Amino acid sequence: MTSAHVTTPPLRFALVGNPNCGKTALFNRLTGSRAKVANYAGVTVEKRIGLLQQMDAPAELIDLPGTYSLYVASPDEQVARRVILGEMADEARPDVLVAVVDATNLKLGLRLVLELKVLGLPMILALNMADAAEHRGIRIQVDELSRRLGLPVVETVAVRKHGVNALQDAMRTIAKQALQRADTIPLPARGEDVEALYARIDDMLAGCVSAPANPPRWQEALDTLIMHPVWGLLVLLTTLFLMFQAVFAWASPLVDAIDTSVQWIGAQVGALLPTGILQDFLVNGLIAGTGSVLVFLPQIIILFAFILALEDSGYLPRAAFLLDRLMRGVGLSGRSFIPLLSSFACAVPGIMATRSIADPKERLITIMVAPLMTCSARLPVYALVIGAFIPHQTVWGVFNLQGITLFALYIAGIVSAALIAWVMRKQQHAADDFPLLLELPSYRWPNAYHFLLGLKERAWIFIRRVGTIILALSILLWFLATYPHAPLNATAPAIEYSFAGMLGKLMQPLFGPLGFSWQMCIALIPAMAAREVAVSALATVYAVGGGESALGASLAHAWGLPVALAYLAWFVYAPQCLSTIAVVRRETNSVNATIAFTGYLFLLAYLAACATRYLAGVWL
Amino acid sequence: MPNRPLQTTETGHPVSPLHDLPKGAHARIVSIDVQNAFGQRDEHVTQRLKELGFLPGATLKVIGFGLFGKDPIAVQINGTKFGLRRREAEKILTTPHKA
Ligand SMILES: Nc1nc2c(ncn2[C@@H]2O[C@H](COP(=O)(O)OP(=O)(O)O)[C@@H](O)[C@H]2O)c(=O)[nH]1
Repeated sequence: MTSAHVTTPPLRFALVGNPNCGKTALFNRLTGSRAKVANYAGVTVEKRIGLLQQMDAPAELIDLPGTYSLYVASPDEQVARRVILGEMADEARPDVLVAVVDATNLKLGLRLVLELKVLGLPMILALNMADAAEHRGIRIQVDELSRRLGLPVVETVAVRKHGVNALQDAMRTIAKQALQRADTIPLPARGEDVEALYARIDDMLAGCVSAPANPPRWQEALDTLIMHPVWGLLVLLTTLFLMFQAVFAWASPLVDAIDTSVQWIGAQVGALLPTGILQDFLVNGLIAGTGSVLVFLPQIIILFAFILALEDSGYLPRAAFLLDRLMRGVGLSGRSFIPLLSSFACAVPGIMATRSIADPKERLITIMVAPLMTCSARLPVYALVIGAFIPHQTVWGVFNLQGITLFALYIAGIVSAALIAWVMRKQQHAADDFPLLLELPSYRWPNAYHFLLGLKERAWIFIRRVGTIILALSILLWFLATYPHAPLNATAPAIEYSFAGMLGKLMQPLFGPLGFSWQMCIALIPAMAAREVAVSALATVYAVGGGESALGASLAHAWGLPVALAYLAWFVYAPQCLSTIAVVRRETNSVNATIAFTGYLFLLAYLAACATRYLAGVWL
Repeated sequence: MPNRPLQTTETGHPVSPLHDLPKGAHARIVSIDVQNAFGQRDEHVTQRLKELGFLPGATLKVIGFGLFGKDPIAVQINGTKFGLRRREAEKILTTPHKA
């Protein structure tokens, strides 16, 4: 009503609670799911913020990383603590805490609540999953618990439409009393030891909560299956296989459909407009560029459909548990397996999938090595060069030499990733090495509303945050490859006269030690849009028509074997395609990390290609 | 473990670290021990274990292991299930307990 209203910043509420207690589901309900998702400054930990609905005055809600404790904290838990205390740069301290506790797991949650209470901030306790608790026969006397805790307590069911009404009432009430302050609060010294705290919780719960001792039978039965040495392995392999198959193969008809539609639209627009700069820009720059963004969507959506469903059902933490040993040798945990596996299809969805890794350092390492998994876009390049240079011959009786070469390229990527992950882990302080204490949450049916919201959120993050960069870069590449035009009496292919051609020739001395000709260098430039484009670019610079075998023949003529092998080695590490770099930039939210990422891969590619050429020259 | 001196509680029950228990075993926690591998952070790890409910006197059940050997180990305690790596599990001394 007065202007003062306009200038006060909105009241800040924060959701705090253990992992898996339903914070994100509550967040979606309370904000009507219009979240802004980004990273906290300087760390690869996801931050989710949104405007609260149904409040009297504007108020925002922030969803903190799940945490068990304010005192002993893993890196992502430290982010939660620092935000609560107001220590985080660029984050105002929350004015009101909404502590969330899984009602089927009260003791663990209340321990954190008692720690939070000592901070003295206004606080509401939400007993979430009230439906599941009721189903299990857990009876909670909410009013009595509220009296004993000295906090407003409400039951919530985040997966039901009206399941948060009581919480919204409580939030409106507390908003009237809450004060806005931008100070920091010191972390109080621990008042009592853990034993005493748990004893206090037991006393508090005695007489106001009655609970049957054991979780439901079917949960037990499912875990017997999933943790079984044989059946469990079978379930895991089937799941991973389906997921990989889906991202790799099922997405491709959709990708092809997008490709065809984009080409069709391009052709229609091309036919409407007179030949010239505008037509060229619209068709080959803008429309083709948009297409290069959209082709990633099927893979991203399919992969996240799997990840969200597996995460919500409780299987993903178990898969991470089962695979933990495999990844630990290189300093990662089971959590990084699925992002790395997905990167064999494409690094872009793989890197986005690292969002399910809670530890920011592990997430960063996984992002850094994900592109070393040989993605499907590299296959056409491998196939072309292998087909042209490696004889089709059988070795040791059973193996095909071409097959072995392809296999070696995959292995080179995996081994390099393992080494680099290991080195990066060694670089970090041992003191940051936090023990794995992974909660294996109860199994649940994924909730359709939250599942679809999650999918939409991922797709939007990609389109808005990454797609815009990819589009801009594709247009830039189009420009480089088109201008200046070839003179009218040109004899060489048009690309030679363009900026890309000049750049390729300019780059050539740098690539001299690798034995790359200027034609090979030119092909590397459009290959930055997508690696498979290297094939058509080579066809263009060598002015070969008539398919891959013709191109292979002319390459076999133009390149020596050591150089061809060096080109393959280059593509194992290759400075990544621009889409990958764009997604690294977004997911790490750091220019330095992106530069380090691009730089180290360039260096590796260079060294590997150089070594390959030299060794092949000596041995072959 | 043939070389390990057989430990017992004051009341004469055998004591074994958590990672030695077979799948399906029920046990009661006797104490949380020092684990040298954690160095200075050992106290931190002890605290975290306790915060998650691994307190002397609490009962737990071994529900499974990771794919390669007996590491990590999954246990159920206070109705919650956790995966622990061997180094953490070694800190937890237990004695058999009837379900
Ligand atoms: N039955 C039931 N399931 C819920 C409730 N709240 C959340 N869930 C489910 O619990 C799982 C974990 O929720 P999520 O919001 O991701 O937890 P977070 O880790 O705390 O953010 C998801 O599968 C949710 O659909 C609830 O009130 N009742």
